[in-house]
Amino acid sequence: MTMLKAKTRLAMAAAMLAIPLGGALAMKDGGTLKIYHRGTPPSGSIHEEATNSTVSPYMGVFNNLVMFDQQVAQNSLESIVPDLATDWSWDESKTKLTFNLRSGVNWHDGKPFTAADVVCTWKQLLGDVPRKMKLRKNPRKSWYWNLKGVEASGDNQVSFALGQPQPAFLALLASGYSPVYPCHVDPKTMRTNPVGTGPFKFVELKQNEHVKFVKNENYWKPGKPHLDAIDWTIIRSRSTRVLAFIAGEFDMTYNTDVTVPLRKDVLQQKPDAICPLVPTNVSTNLIVNRDAPPFNDERIRRAMGLSLDRQAFVDIISEGNNFIGGAMLPPPGGVWGLPPEELATTQGYGDVAANREKARELMKQAGFGPDNRVKVTVSTRNIAIYRDPAVILIDHLKEIYIDAELKVIETSNWHATVAKKDYQVGLNLTGVGVDDPDVNFFENYACGSQRNYTGYCNKELQTLFEKQSSMADQEARKKLVWQIDQKLQEDVARPIIYHGNNATCWQPYVKGYVSMTNSVYNGWRLEDVWLDK
Amino acid sequence: MTAPNFTIEELPSAEIPRKGVWYHFRTFCRRYPLGAIGAAITLVFVFCAIFAEFVTGMDPYTTNAATSLAAPGSSHMLGADVMGRDVFSRIVYGARISLMVGVGSTLVGCFFGVFIGLASGYLLGWFDLITQRIIDMMQALPLLVMALVMAASLGPSLENTIIAISIPLIPNVARIIRSNTLSLREMPFVESARASGFSEWRIAIRHVLPNTLAPLIVLATAQLGAAILTEASLSFLGLGIPEPHASWGRMLSESAAEYVRTAPWLVIFPGIAISLVVFGTNLLGDAVRDMLDPRQRKT
Amino acid sequence: MTSYIIRRLLLMALTLVGMSIIIFIMLRLVPGNIADILFDSAGFIDPQEKALLEEELGLHLPLWKQYWDWIYGLVQGDLGFSYVSELPTVDELGPRIPITAKLAGLSLFFAVLIGLPLGVISAVKQNTWADYVVRIISLSGLSLPSFWLGLLILTAFVAWAGYIPIYTSAPETWYDELALLITPAIAVGFRASAIIMRLTRSSMLEVMRQDYVRTARSKGASENVINYKHALRNAILPVTTIIGIEAAFLIGGLIVTETVFNIPGVARFLVEAIQWRDYPIVQNLVMLIALIVVVVNLMVDLLYAVLDPRIRYS
Repeated sequence: MTMLKAKTRLAMAAAMLAIPLGGALAMKDGGTLKIYHRGTPPSGSIHEEATNSTVSPYMGVFNNLVMFDQQVAQNSLESIVPDLATDWSWDESKTKLTFNLRSGVNWHDGKPFTAADVVCTWKQLLGDVPRKMKLRKNPRKSWYWNLKGVEASGDNQVSFALGQPQPAFLALLASGYSPVYPCHVDPKTMRTNPVGTGPFKFVELKQNEHVKFVKNENYWKPGKPHLDAIDWTIIRSRSTRVLAFIAGEFDMTYNTDVTVPLRKDVLQQKPDAICPLVPTNVSTNLIVNRDAPPFNDERIRRAMGLSLDRQAFVDIISEGNNFIGGAMLPPPGGVWGLPPEELATTQGYGDVAANREKARELMKQAGFGPDNRVKVTVSTRNIAIYRDPAVILIDHLKEIYIDAELKVIETSNWHATVAKKDYQVGLNLTGVGVDDPDVNFFENYACGSQRNYTGYCNKELQTLFEKQSSMADQEARKKLVWQIDQKLQEDVARPIIYHGNNATCWQPYVKGYVSMTNSVYNGWRLEDVWLDK
Repeated sequence: MTAPNFTIEELPSAEIPRKGVWYHFRTFCRRYPLGAIGAAITLVFVFCAIFAEFVTGMDPYTTNAATSLAAPGSSHMLGADVMGRDVFSRIVYGARISLMVGVGSTLVGCFFGVFIGLASGYLLGWFDLITQRIIDMMQALPLLVMALVMAASLGPSLENTIIAISIPLIPNVARIIRSNTLSLREMPFVESARASGFSEWRIAIRHVLPNTLAPLIVLATAQLGAAILTEASLSFLGLGIPEPHASWGRMLSESAAEYVRTAPWLVIFPGIAISLVVFGTNLLGDAVRDMLDPRQRKT
Repeated sequence: MTSYIIRRLLLMALTLVGMSIIIFIMLRLVPGNIADILFDSAGFIDPQEKALLEEELGLHLPLWKQYWDWIYGLVQGDLGFSYVSELPTVDELGPRIPITAKLAGLSLFFAVLIGLPLGVISAVKQNTWADYVVRIISLSGLSLPSFWLGLLILTAFVAWAGYIPIYTSAPETWYDELALLITPAIAVGFRASAIIMRLTRSSMLEVMRQDYVRTARSKGASENVINYKHALRNAILPVTTIIGIEAAFLIGGLIVTETVFNIPGVARFLVEAIQWRDYPIVQNLVMLIALIVVVVNLMVDLLYAVLDPRIRYS
C-alpha cells in the first residue's frame, strides 16, 4: 500500500529472480493470493449465473462430484478426475451413472455432506424442488435435457438416470459450473453467503470493492489448499487494473482479462510476468433476427454470412492471434472443432472475394443492389470487446449493399433486448462452459433452448445432436460433430466470426496454476496454487 | 434563438467606435492577446468541423487490417487506430461531432433557459415561484450525475448526448436571465415602451431580451468547452456518443486503456485536440467576458 | 434573520420533495429494471421468473404506491434494501460516504490552497507575464479531461516510481490513507482550483477599483496592505459562494476520479447503482446529495451575512 511496502516487494521480486532456478523447489504454504476482478460478481451462486465473474472467484468454495484435472490444460473426457465422488460406473444400458461418495466431508458450516445434497442439487437444476428451494435463474437447464432423475442409495451412493446413453454427461459434471450445493441452505443464502465443501471459505463480498475467501482449515483433501486466503479486488477501469498488475500490486490478473495488445504491453514493462495466451472458448458471432424483414429472407442471411472477412477481424482485434473456426472451438486448443482442411470446404469460409461476389449475387436476387441498398442496425453490447468487431462488421457489410448503423445497448440490458427480439442484426459473444458438443449444441442451437437467441430450429439437426450425444466411439462422434458444425454454418444459424485468444498473467512466484486451453470456467479451484516467496 | 443575429455594435454598453474591421481586429489582439490566441484556435476548430471533407481526404470509418496501429508517417500523418482508421481524419471529423455537441447543447440549453428565465422574471407570481423551485432542484444535482441519468434513460446516441448535456445548462441560463429581467423591467426605456402601448410580450422580446444577451454570451462560450469535456467524461463512463462516430472523448477513453504505451499517438493526439479546443474556447470566453463586462473594461 | 431562516428551510423542504419526485420518475424512465439485469448475468430471461422477481421486490405495485412506500420508509429512517446485494441500503452507503467525504474535503483543500493565492497574484499583477502564466496554468486545469489527467498520473507513477497510487485494500493508518487519497485529491483539486483562481482574480479586480481601495491608496497605504487587508478581505466573499457550490459539483468530478483511482466511494457506487437500476440505492443517495447541496447553499448564504455586514436578511 505505502511506497515503502511496494519497494520492499519489488526488491524481493528482484532477489528471487537472482536465485538460479535449480532443483525442485519445495512447496510453500501460506500467504494471500491477490487477484483483481473486472467487476462485482452478480452473485455468489454459481448455479444461477452464466458468467465467469461468478465462477472464477467462487469455484474454490465448492467441490464437484468429478472435475477436470486442474493441472491439465485441455479439458476432455480423459482429464476428468474424482472430487467428492471416489469412483463411478455406468450400468449395462449405459443410461445409469452411479457415483460412490467420499465420507467424512463437512460443509463449511459444520454439517456433514451426504448423497442427499447431490440429489438436492440436481433436483434444483431440474426444477423439481419446493418453491423455497427453487433457483431464481437456471441458465444451464438445457445441459440436462437427458437427465431423468437422481437417486440416493444410502448416504454414500448416488445415481443419475439418463434417457439415452450419453458418455459426455460426466464432462458436464466436471465443469466449474457444476458444484454440489448443500441441501440445508436456501438459494437466497447461496447468492449472498455461499456454503460449500471446497478449499476456501467465503468471507465477504463488498460491491465494487472486493470478494474475500480464507483457507478452509478442515478441507478434506490432505495438505490443501496452500494459500491462507484469496483476495479479489474489484477494479472496473481496465487501464487502471493492468497498470496495477504491472506495478506489482497483484499476484495475478483476472481470468483471461489480458488482450493481445495489452499482453504485449505487460510483457514489455514486466518481462518476468507469465502470460500464456490461451483460447477462451468464447466465440464472437452474429445473431440475426430471422423474424424481422429483410432478414426473414434466407438469401439475405446467407449473403451476410458470406460477406465476412474473418482474417481481417482476427488481424485487427488480436494481431492475428484469434482463431477462425466453426461452432466448436478449433484445434489445437479445442477438441471438437473443424480442422483447417474441413473449414476450407465449409460454406462462408475460404476465398473472401469469391464469397462476396456470391453474396452480391444473392442480394440482387433478393431485390437489392448498388442503387437500392438495405438499411439496418447492428446492435451490440456497450463494451469494447463487442463494439470493436461490430464496427468492423459494419464496414464489411458495406461491400454487399448493406448500410448498417451501430446501436449500442447498455451492457446490463443486452439480454433483455435480445430476448425481446428488439434487434435486426446483433453482434454477440458466446462462452462455452465445457468444450463438448453436448453443451454447445444443446445450449445455443437446440430448438427451444432459452439461450438459443435467434430461435434457430432445425428438426433434422436436432436428431443429429441427440445421435452424436449417444455415441460411444468418440472418434466417430467427432466426424458427426464436424458434419453438424458445417451444416450450422451453412444454415447461417449463428455465424461464428472468431474464437478469442486471451491471456491470464501472473507473477513468477505464483506456482501451481494452469491456464486451461478450452474453457475459462473450469480452472479456478486454486487449491494447488502456492506462492514461492 | 436570437443570439446569432446579434452583433457587438447593438449593445448599448459596448461603445466600440465605428472603424474598419482590421482596426477592431488589431485592437482586440492588443487588448486581449490571450483572447486572440483563443479565437485563432476556435476558428481552426470550427473550420475543420465545417470543412472536414476538404481538410482530410480519408474516410474516418474505413477499417483496414493492414494499417492497424500504424505509426504516424507518410501514409497516416497522425497514425492509425487499432482498426486501421486514420487518426488525423478521425480527429478532423471528431471536431464536427464536438462542435455539434458544444453548440447543440448550448443552443438547446439557452433556448429553454431563456424562455423560462424571461417568463419567470416577467410574469413573476406563481409561475415564478414554481419554476424557481424546479430550478433549485435541477441545481441540487451535480451536472455529471444529471447527464448520467439522462444518458442512461435516453440511450447512447449523438442527439441524446446533446440533450443530456444541455439539461443542466437550463437552470444556469434561467437564473441569469431572470435576475437581469427583474432589474430591466423597471428601467426607464422599458417603462417608456410600456407607456407607448407595446404589448408585454413585445417588450419582453424586443427590449428586455437583447439587453440580457451579454451575460448569456459569456455563459455560452464557457459552455462550449464544458460540453466537450462532459461528453468525454460520459464516454469514459461508457455513455456518450457511440462508435463508429469519431468522438474525441471516445477515442481518448477507449484507446487510453490499451495503447497508452504501445501506440501513444492514439492517446496523445485526441487528448491534445480536446485540451486545445477547450483551452481555446475558454481563452476566447474570458476575453469576451472582459469585453462585454463594462466594469472590467480598462479605462 | 430568524424569519429568513425559517422561510429558507421551508423552501428547502419543498425543493427536496420535488427532487424526490423527479429522481423517482427519471429512474423509472430508464429502460430495463433490476429483474432484467439480474437475469442478464444468466444469459437469458425467463418471463415467469422475472415476474416473480418483480413481485418479490415490489416492482409490480402501481407507481404512486412505490413512491409512497419509499418516502414513508425514508421519513421513518428505513432506507430499504439494495436490490443487488440484498443488504440494507444503510450498510451499503454507510462505509462509502466517509471515503468520498474525505476525498472531497482534501480536494477542496488543495483547490483553495492553490487557487486563492494564484488568483490574488494574477489580480495584483494584472496583465503582466505573471498574470498570463497563472491564467494559462489555471485554464489548462479546466481544459484537461479529468480521467485523462488521472490516467497520465497513474502511468507516470508506474513508469517512474514502480508503484501505483490506487486503492486496493482499506488503509490501516491515517497517513496510509492520506498517502492514498492525496494523488486523486490533487487530480480533482486542480480543476476546482482553476475555478477558484479565476473567481478570486475577477472579484479582486473589481474590489481594487472600488472607491475605498482608491482612498486607501491615495492615503499612502502600502500596496501590500491595500491588496491583502482591503481588497482580499472583500473579494473573498463571492469566492466563498463558489467554494460552496463547487463542493457540490466536486461530486461530479469524483465519479470519474474514483473510477480511475479505484476508490470505493459513493460517487462511483452511484454510477454502478444506476447501471444496475438499484432504485433504493440511487434514490436515497441522490436525495442525500441534494440534501447536502441545499444545506451547503444555505450555509453559504448565511456565512455571507456574517462575513459582509452590509447584507442583512429580513
